[in-house]
Amino acid sequence: MNRSKNSLYRSGFMLVLAVVVLVLSGQAFGSDDEDGGTIMFTKPVMAVVFEHKTHIENGLECDSCHSELFEMETGVAESKDDFTMKSLYAGKYCGACHDGDMAFASNTRCTVCHIGVKGYNKAMGKETSGASGGH
Amino acid sequence: MEFSELENLENEGIETLPSEERRKFLRFGMAVTGVFLGGSVLSLTSARNARGGLGPIPEAGKFPYKPHYSMVIKQNRCIDCERCKEACVKTNKVPSYGYRTTILELEKDLGNKGKERVFMPVLCNHCNRPPCVRVCPTTATYKDKKNGIVMMDKKRCIGCKTCMAACPYNARYFDEEVRAVDKCNFCFDTRLEKGETKTACAAACPAGVRIFGDLTDYDSELYALVHAPEKVVWVLRPETGAMPNVFYMND
Ligand code: SF4
Ligand code: SF4
Ligand code: SF4
Repeated sequence: MNRSKNSLYRSGFMLVLAVVVLVLSGQAFGSDDEDGGTIMFTKPVMAVVFEHKTHIENGLECDSCHSELFEMETGVAESKDDFTMKSLYAGKYCGACHDGDMAFASNTRCTVCHIGVKGYNKAMGKETSGASGGH
Repeated sequence: MEFSELENLENEGIETLPSEERRKFLRFGMAVTGVFLGGSVLSLTSARNARGGLGPIPEAGKFPYKPHYSMVIKQNRCIDCERCKEACVKTNKVPSYGYRTTILELEKDLGNKGKERVFMPVLCNHCNRPPCVRVCPTTATYKDKKNGIVMMDKKRCIGCKTCMAACPYNARYFDEEVRAVDKCNFCFDTRLEKGETKTACAAACPAGVRIFGDLTDYDSELYALVHAPEKVVWVLRPETGAMPNVFYMND
């Protein structure tokens, strides 16, 4: 992967690491915004969850993905027309790593990332509209 | 329907039913049976048990209906985007509290490997031996003699809800506005009759989960899928003997 050096992001990452270490050692943890937290993509379909934490724990650094694959800003990827599964298969966005080589391929294990409407509602603290009522 | 309930079903393993036998059963009239065990273990019940629930088996190649509408659900592809539900609601005037199809969900914690989710679309199975039809006192719910779709004649429905209790798939709800039970009818009046070949939910699915078709059409994708020898096909709650026409498989 092509990594653009950005010392600012790097120092940011060190800070995040320190925070992660703190968390792992059982300290209270106010906000996880420092590492970008959880990103919920609602386009092109509802809903896909991305955990910064998991990816960092897997040894990725901020500039592994930012900002060549993804802008730092939330919502930018979603606003692009080519933010589709098809372009993932072609190696764009998540597909840059999720190619079956570096990480599981984008066209497999869909429900690791796709949490659906139910997952989204749960995360938002909403009741899932129940169709399982009845008897 | 509850997952816990499904998970309590006995897993007999697929080895008890050779694929040739399975195919034979399918040709005989949709008798492949199986259980869904929490999304991780799929199995077919033994041929013996399948036969037990069958009664007289129709002759090979003789389908009870033509066309014989059916749906295959590629279950592991479902991402719960619920576009199928939206499309169904729009097409069939389903009220906000109702549903003709739903997506069940199971979440398994894989420890540090995160979570694995299983989504399972459920709709009326248009059973070959529909318990809902059997219990309806007014014949408001009936199986169409031509195409096997389990239909509702809403004018005849007296709202006793016996059919709702009888359905093993919880596929029915009471439409308060119409004062009648409503359910999936494979979009017969809203699409099929108008010349569409796909149901609204199948047409709307972005993940190719729902394949709708005619089992007597040997050239159809549906036929090929159901009869693929290497595929494990299963149905929900086979033990009820309802003989569903919605088949599940993984990719
Ligand atoms: S549209 Fe397809 S993928 Fe989406 S919830 Fe329905 S069956 Fe699942
Ligand atoms: S799934 Fe339920 S409503 Fe549909 S035919 Fe079978 S018993 Fe009747
Ligand atoms: S086949 Fe038609 S009526 Fe049945 S669930 Fe799908 S969209 Fe709804």
